[in-house]
Amino acid sequence: MARDTDSSLYDQVVRITHVYLGPAADRFIARQLENHLHKSPEELSPADLLSLIDWIRVVVSLLTEDNGIVEEYIAELQKLADAQTHTKRKQNHK
Amino acid sequence: MTSQRQAAQPISRSLQQAALLVAAYVLLVFLLPASVATRHTYHLSALEYRSALLAVALPSLLTWVAAFLGYAKLRQYVTVVRKSPEGSYFDKLATGCAWLAWSLPVSSLFGLLANAAGEEWSAVHGAATITDNYLGVLLAVVAFSLIGAASRGLVNHAKLKFSLAGVRGLMLSFLAAGVLYCYLVFRRLDLTSLGSTHNAYSLPIWLVVLSVIIPYLYAWFAGLLAAYEINLFSKHTNGVLYRQALQLLVGGLTAIILSFIALQYISTVVPSQGHLVLGYRLVIITLFRIIGGGGFLMLALGAQKLKRIEEV
Repeated sequence: MARDTDSSLYDQVVRITHVYLGPAADRFIARQLENHLHKSPEELSPADLLSLIDWIRVVVSLLTEDNGIVEEYIAELQKLADAQTHTKRKQNHK
Repeated sequence: MTSQRQAAQPISRSLQQAALLVAAYVLLVFLLPASVATRHTYHLSALEYRSALLAVALPSLLTWVAAFLGYAKLRQYVTVVRKSPEGSYFDKLATGCAWLAWSLPVSSLFGLLANAAGEEWSAVHGAATITDNYLGVLLAVVAFSLIGAASRGLVNHAKLKFSLAGVRGLMLSFLAAGVLYCYLVFRRLDLTSLGSTHNAYSLPIWLVVLSVIIPYLYAWFAGLLAAYEINLFSKHTNGVLYRQALQLLVGGLTAIILSFIALQYISTVVPSQGHLVLGYRLVIITLFRIIGGGGFLMLALGAQKLKRIEEV
């Protein structure tokens, strides 16, 4: 868990994606960022996360008809987005 | 739009090549002299003989198309992942599959020509049989060696290790099939004279052992090991969606390898008589060709799904 907070946001998104897309995860996320958000992996910020999740939902739905897998994947990403929001709020309070 | 057209090029080129080879086969069936032995056995006219030959060859011709489609789809996937860490192994796998796909029309067309030549000039019969056998051995050794190198690379890249039970099962099945193969081949040879060429292979026994049996056993072992390794790789790869696509590809590849081994096994244990014989050998060979064709279609579907993951 400590590693999650230490690694970059991009790495955390790739780590979640790896469970669903295996070796293609890194390439997949980099492509979504570049094609839809016009950003490089290093430029991914917590503010981009929700729109990235929306795009991922659309794109993964094209890969499988199993909605369970899509929803599970999106829920994992949503948890990451919530954790980012929580961290940001904490920092603002300080 | 341009990239889509470029991506479709290898597929259309492969299908064109398959269509040309099918056309060449059909043309040869009608141009080459009809087998007197078959016509006499089944009381067929020349046209009836040719129609029967085409009908019998139809599953094989469809398998050629499936095979060319399968390796072209895999090649297409490779172009997308070539720069990835596992890209070079998939590249080698695609090359191995291309050799297997090409071996189908090459050996069939050569067989057709060799049979016609053997029928016309009996002196050529021996040379045609020898060349046919060596062509089969060469294609099997090259294709299975390439596929074996690719599967070994994937397993090493993923740092996977064989289970003892898996290796024992593989060795046992290979040894059983290998010993049975030697027994069945030796039954067809005159073992009292090692130099005699009066056998279905038109070669002295010592040369059959050295240049046909041993290379085939090597190729089959490489093929079986590759099937085992690639299945191991697909089971241990992360990614639910990636694994689903990979398992389709691997399932197809396993069916292809097993069907090729079975076809080579049958064609050496029960050598062709040089003309069309409607019997159990033909039925079994057709069955394994259909299994191989199905395998190539599965391979194409798996490669298509993997490519989609890399494109969306």
